[in-house]
Amino acid sequence: MTTVQRRVIQAGALSTIALACFFEVKFKTLDGRIVPQLAQEWYRVLIDLVPGSSFVLAGLVAWSRRPLNRVGLLMIGVGVGLLTRNPELQHGIGEIAYPLEVALHFISPLWAVAFLHLLLAFPAGRLVSRLDRDIVRSFYALVPLAGVLAVVIGHYPLLGAIGQPVFETKGPADYVYLACLLVGSGLVIRRWFLGGRARRRSITPLFGPMVPITIFFLLSLAYFLGARVTPIPLGGLKSILGDLATAFPLLLVALPVGVLVGLLRSELDMSSVGDLVVKLSGGLAPERLRPALAQALHDPSLEVAYWLPAQEWFADLEGRRIELPTDDSERAVSILGDASSPIAALVYDSSLVHEGQLVDAAAAAVRMALENARLQVQLRAQLEDVRESRARLVEAADSERQRVERDLHDGAQQQLVTLLLSMQMTKAEAMRHADPETAAMVEANIGALRQALDELRELGRGIHPTILTQAGLVPAIMSLAERSPIPVEVTGELGDDRFAPAIEAALYFVVSEAITNAVKHSQARRLCVSIDRRPVLAIVEVSDDGVGGAEPSLGSGLRGLTDRVAAVGGRLTVKSDHAGGTTIHAEVPCG
Amino acid sequence: MRVIVADDSVLFREGLARVLEGAGFEVVGQASNIDELDRILAREDAAAVILDIRMPPTQTDEGLVAAKRIRRTHPKMGVLLLSQYVESHHALDLLAESPNHVGYLLKDRVADIGEFLDAVRRVGNGGSAVDPQVVSQLLGRKRSRDLVDQLTDREKKVLGLIAEGRSNEAIASTLKISPKTLEAHIGTIYSKLGLEPAVSDHRRVLAVLNYLRSA
Repeated sequence: MTTVQRRVIQAGALSTIALACFFEVKFKTLDGRIVPQLAQEWYRVLIDLVPGSSFVLAGLVAWSRRPLNRVGLLMIGVGVGLLTRNPELQHGIGEIAYPLEVALHFISPLWAVAFLHLLLAFPAGRLVSRLDRDIVRSFYALVPLAGVLAVVIGHYPLLGAIGQPVFETKGPADYVYLACLLVGSGLVIRRWFLGGRARRRSITPLFGPMVPITIFFLLSLAYFLGARVTPIPLGGLKSILGDLATAFPLLLVALPVGVLVGLLRSELDMSSVGDLVVKLSGGLAPERLRPALAQALHDPSLEVAYWLPAQEWFADLEGRRIELPTDDSERAVSILGDASSPIAALVYDSSLVHEGQLVDAAAAAVRMALENARLQVQLRAQLEDVRESRARLVEAADSERQRVERDLHDGAQQQLVTLLLSMQMTKAEAMRHADPETAAMVEANIGALRQALDELRELGRGIHPTILTQAGLVPAIMSLAERSPIPVEVTGELGDDRFAPAIEAALYFVVSEAITNAVKHSQARRLCVSIDRRPVLAIVEVSDDGVGGAEPSLGSGLRGLTDRVAAVGGRLTVKSDHAGGTTIHAEVPCG
Repeated sequence: MRVIVADDSVLFREGLARVLEGAGFEVVGQASNIDELDRILAREDAAAVILDIRMPPTQTDEGLVAAKRIRRTHPKMGVLLLSQYVESHHALDLLAESPNHVGYLLKDRVADIGEFLDAVRRVGNGGSAVDPQVVSQLLGRKRSRDLVDQLTDREKKVLGLIAEGRSNEAIASTLKISPKTLEAHIGTIYSKLGLEPAVSDHRRVLAVLNYLRSA
């Protein structure tokens, strides 16, 4: 909009006030002096003049401060409509220019629709949802139609004459007015109760005035219906209700004031950005960045999404991917940094859209901190990648071990057992043929073969214990304990719970390696294995009463176990001092 | 005695069948997988099934699962499980359901032909056969060791043989002692361990194994 257009609208709005005042005042000669006198009783003048002027003036202020926000223009529209809706005023204008009177007849009822439009468009200045747009459009279309209809069916003038209760309807246009008020107040109240904190806060300036307005409106409606429908005279109550209904438009004054305050409040809010800057100067951990921003922007639902250039997506602080909302009426997005290399994105309630300056200021204040946080997120995402690939490596190694054990079982072990059987049969045959020499030779080979089979079996068990896949962790650990040369006491229960194969394997090999180490190095007389299942943690602990001095950084066995447990997200600790005893403790998170 | 052999290695199966037939057993069917075994079971009556614990397709515990199923559907049929590894967990699992008509041996045992055929007969006749390695593993449990340490070496041997499912005659001849001496040993063992004397051979296997398990 050009400056000239703006000036024309401003001048038009102001002259409407002047015009309205002019037509309300007649000059009379009294005792030889010319004195101004109101055309009607003073309160009747007040009812349109005061709310109308306040809408126009507040609208002008809002428009000059927020030129891009349509709320100011809408307020001016409502004001002009209120000022020119008085039929006597229209008649007065008609005496000067009749076509203008006719035009006003049709146009001035639009104030009610502009009022509805204002309620729905506040504070962003635009209608966000499709439903809102449809409602407002249909009402705009309805007003001229109602005007034509009123002329056709002979209700003329269109609107309730000044001084009469508002709901003394004179024609279809009044029903439009009624409907606009009902729909508008209903939607504002609904939005207040359904909206989040940011949304509520943004429509507080509307909600505040709308509560008394709606109450008075309903009282007036009750009066109107009571007067029309019930034959029973309401007496004193009726007159009170009548007075309230008459004074109803005066209440509208609260609305432009509220709207103006609400619209300009973000200037006051700039001070919250100041607070944010103060917090930042004290150093703000990435975890506290989001709450600080949410507080500064008064939107607890605010999210911060960090750009990961390697992955080319946005992620939260943990490095998890975040999808930015696309064309969502409830959420709005501001991307910080260059379009080609963003730093982060703020996702917030769309009611903050009109407070663009506030969002920009807050974002500028935290830019450095966001950049830091982003690097941290990037690092975490990389760590997560590494962790996942390590887990995949261990899993691959485990399934490879399983495959090797199976090949051994189905191949060499099976063939050697078959060979053992056939050698026994050969020996029996030799005995039958009274050939003790051959029988003795075969017998010697059988002995060697048995030993080979035993060794192969131990090898297979070490590669992958089938009992672990068949029956789970506890039977596998019991089996280890039973075969240990040093007595092993197993305590604790897991029940029949099974864990992921990688977790079972990690914990099994911890116990297996710990027992092997104790047998080799500790000179322990007894070992104790305890198994414990916490809600989200599986724990095994192996302790001995040996000489101690185990060093996790030296023994490659313990080092490998630490890595294996870490690969499934767990932790291995070794407590071993030269005073005696070694305790190996492993805990792994489990579903 | 009519037996069925199930193992996925044809060489092993044939060898086993020859050993069994040489000793007067009648091998009424050979199966290379569980489906084949089920078809033979539907067709033939047998005193015992000898099957490997790891069978196709997954080579994990198909044989074990099938053994448990056969014991429910054919309660009078003996089931002798063979495995490259023996685990006390599986042994107790099998015996806990019922200590009769069941055996669990290391696969290598087939080469001790006399012992193996004896085990097949025991299982086929309603008895049990537990691999010596399972027994020694159970005896190796920490608390079992403490308790069994009260026994003399001879008594320990007797306890082990009882746990393997052997009869008094077999134990007496293995240890080359008279049945009377054996009974005296058994009496001492039972009183030292605080076990109730069991009437039949089958019941005492379970009693001893349970004792060792709970120890």
